[in-house]
Amino acid sequence: MLPAAMVNINIVKNVAGIALRLKFRFSSPILPTSILPASSQLLHTQSHSHSDEKWTKEELSLVPCRHQSTEASSPVPRKGYSPFQPSFASNKAEFALARVDDLLNWARKSSLWPMTFGLACCAVEMMHMAAPRYDMDRFGVVFRASPRQSDCIIVAGTLTNKMAPAFRRIYDQMPEPRWVLSMGSCANGGGYYHYAYSVVRGCDRIVPVDIYIPGCPPTAEALLYGILQLQKKIKRMKMVQMWYRK
Amino acid sequence: MATYLEKLRHFRQAFKQHGGMLGSLKQLYWTEELKVGTYVGADKYGNKYYENNLFFVGRNRWIQYAPQYGMDYDGSQIPSDWHRWMHNIGDTPPTAAPLVEHPWLMDHTENQAGTPGAYVGYKTTKPKIEQWVPPQSKTTQS
Repeated sequence: MLPAAMVNINIVKNVAGIALRLKFRFSSPILPTSILPASSQLLHTQSHSHSDEKWTKEELSLVPCRHQSTEASSPVPRKGYSPFQPSFASNKAEFALARVDDLLNWARKSSLWPMTFGLACCAVEMMHMAAPRYDMDRFGVVFRASPRQSDCIIVAGTLTNKMAPAFRRIYDQMPEPRWVLSMGSCANGGGYYHYAYSVVRGCDRIVPVDIYIPGCPPTAEALLYGILQLQKKIKRMKMVQMWYRK
Repeated sequence: MATYLEKLRHFRQAFKQHGGMLGSLKQLYWTEELKVGTYVGADKYGNKYYENNLFFVGRNRWIQYAPQYGMDYDGSQIPSDWHRWMHNIGDTPPTAAPLVEHPWLMDHTENQAGTPGAYVGYKTTKPKIEQWVPPQSKTTQS
């Protein structure tokens, strides 16, 4: 008599535990019922049809539910940090140099100091990017007023013929590696002033450009996205690996 | 004092939502942010969307990128239907009001710049200007 009662109590406990867990799961605010796995919804509907007594063997079977649950929980392969994936077994030197490149690129991309080079209205959007709302500082991007201590230059605005030699000189003063962001239609290809007598038709006629940001003027968001694109580009640089190959 | 307690409470909630110490550290490494919010929905690529109106507009809706993107997540990975909600064009997420589907709609692609799939422009018309070819002197030709 006594063992049977204990068994009963255990069963009651288990059922109560499952019910509590289910309740927690269904009432959880971050899990609305619409996104629950299909298997649990199926179980739900089955328990409803229980009172109707119209069960078939297919409905009773748990196999479809099991298939669904395994499909839903299959692990997604996660992408690694590095864009370089040489195999360690075949070439140990290349593997090591790829890691050195990763470290270099990480250091370069996470403290990108642009040279302030505001030429026209685009410069106002560049200031917006520096201001707290868009906050370029969180990506390690800080304006530096000296070309000798900056990594990249943001050409923000119309590049005139008069400014072009000064721009080229500033670019030449920047240490390697250096990058150029062309911001706005005027810097990309002359834009509104394409047919003017005094405007350079795109700053890529003066210096090599890495990132073109379209817009007139581009929003601060667009400029920030351009900087993120440049960071992606820096992440793909393989200086040490190329040196080794040569 | 009350505001600090409130902040502490939010931090505890965020800590809990990301699954304790390990999950929170992982999240901080991944996104450099620990935010608590209500789950709104997920798109077909596996990105999850959250909302918490205690943050100011612009920070109140955010995305948790799908794990297959790793550290290479990008704003252009948000498909158009969720872009609408993320940019406050409307307040109804596509889970509540799905967009109209057409068979001719292309699948969403992320920004292909820097990959072999990048767009390269081309001209279909004759150029309007002719470039000046500098006359070459006999000394430089040699």
